[in-house]
Amino acid sequence: MPLLSVQGLHHCFGRHRVLNGIHLALEAGNCGVLLGANGSGKSTLLALLSTRFRLQQGHYHLAGLAVAEHGDMVRSRLLFVGHHTHLYGHLTPLENLLFFADLHGLSAAGTVLREAVVAVGLEKFMEQPVRWFSAGMKKRLALARLLLFQPDLLLLDEPYSALDQQGVAWLNETISQFLQRGGVVVMASHDPERIAALPHQPFRLHRGQLYGPGEAFPC
Amino acid sequence: MLILWRAIYRIAWKDVVGDWRRRATLSSMLFFAIAVLVIFQVAFDPDRREAARLLPGLLWVTLLFTSLMGLGRVFQGEEEDGAFEGLLLASVPRGVIFLGKWMGNLLLTVLVELLLLPLTLVLFNVDVWGQVPAIVAVLFVGTLGLTGLGVLLAAMTQSARSRETLLALLLLPLTAPLLIAGVQAVAGLVQPGLDIAPWVRLLVIFDVVYLALAPWAFGWLVAE
Repeated sequence: MPLLSVQGLHHCFGRHRVLNGIHLALEAGNCGVLLGANGSGKSTLLALLSTRFRLQQGHYHLAGLAVAEHGDMVRSRLLFVGHHTHLYGHLTPLENLLFFADLHGLSAAGTVLREAVVAVGLEKFMEQPVRWFSAGMKKRLALARLLLFQPDLLLLDEPYSALDQQGVAWLNETISQFLQRGGVVVMASHDPERIAALPHQPFRLHRGQLYGPGEAFPC
Repeated sequence: MLILWRAIYRIAWKDVVGDWRRRATLSSMLFFAIAVLVIFQVAFDPDRREAARLLPGLLWVTLLFTSLMGLGRVFQGEEEDGAFEGLLLASVPRGVIFLGKWMGNLLLTVLVELLLLPLTLVLFNVDVWGQVPAIVAVLFVGTLGLTGLGVLLAAMTQSARSRETLLALLLLPLTAPLLIAGVQAVAGLVQPGLDIAPWVRLLVIFDVVYLALAPWAFGWLVAE
């Protein structure tokens, strides 16, 4: 049974149908990359997988749990890092991670939080409010949450944006380790060069439909 | 259960710490409350008897408008970097998020109340110091419902263009029964001989109704 399973997913904004019968199944250790033009529905699909949007039609299971019935449990098994980092500017990196840990029922000790901040290279900024951070530093801190727990699903929307070379290398290494531990990654990206370093399956979104590797794509 | 309490505490902590570091809501609530009281004192210049008669209404009106100021900012901090979306992705039930936001706002409002009451008594020269604990208790019971409904309405209006006006328009009529009960209960404490029990019961009923429905309504409200 696939770790992530989506069947017949439809989503509309008012009368505008964005997703039209999406089927996606990914086994543990797989990385699916969503490709497609702007407005093709990549971010909407990620928002649905993150449970941020309510399912309008279709079925979505993560690790055998149906989102429609076990939304809270599914949320405890995934991490979503999108265009926004969901960080609070008035809190320090440690406080932001502590906030995240407590809201996800994780019993992360101070040392674990510190190690996560060190691992993303922000140890010099441990006591600074996040509002002074650059976009790249914020992205690193947002990804440090991945080091606090072992989710089943990692959702990334344009993860390479704002990251420098070192950050990209760190991110690819982190994703590789995550996949080796049996997680599933779904990411939307316009950056094929940087994804190339990762083992992945490309999926193309076009007019609300998802075309998997090897499927004929209408031009 | 401990996990849920920790989440509620952490959200409230984040809001209170944020307000303290930004010196945002609490200071403006306090300045506003002091300004209202001073204006009333200068405008009416009441004698002691008149002041005792005015005190309950004055306290609650000041409290209502001061809380409106705080409520208008409850979700402002969540606009930063998609923080509200982050909150909704937490693995706790959405009602828990509501309770955390409510607790944070309640703490700030109660703090303002505790400073407001002695200031009012001094400014208006009303000698009911013996009743202060009872008045604080009544104000607290009323504030539970006022902030409970207020935080829900703040969530409802947060994406509206003129959200502060809309919040006031919705909150004022919906809390009118609670305010009447609060004013009558404080009046009973200031002017002996009046029975406050029915009014306190009414306050408690409103608290129970608002606080039982609000977490559920919040969960429904934020689901897209």
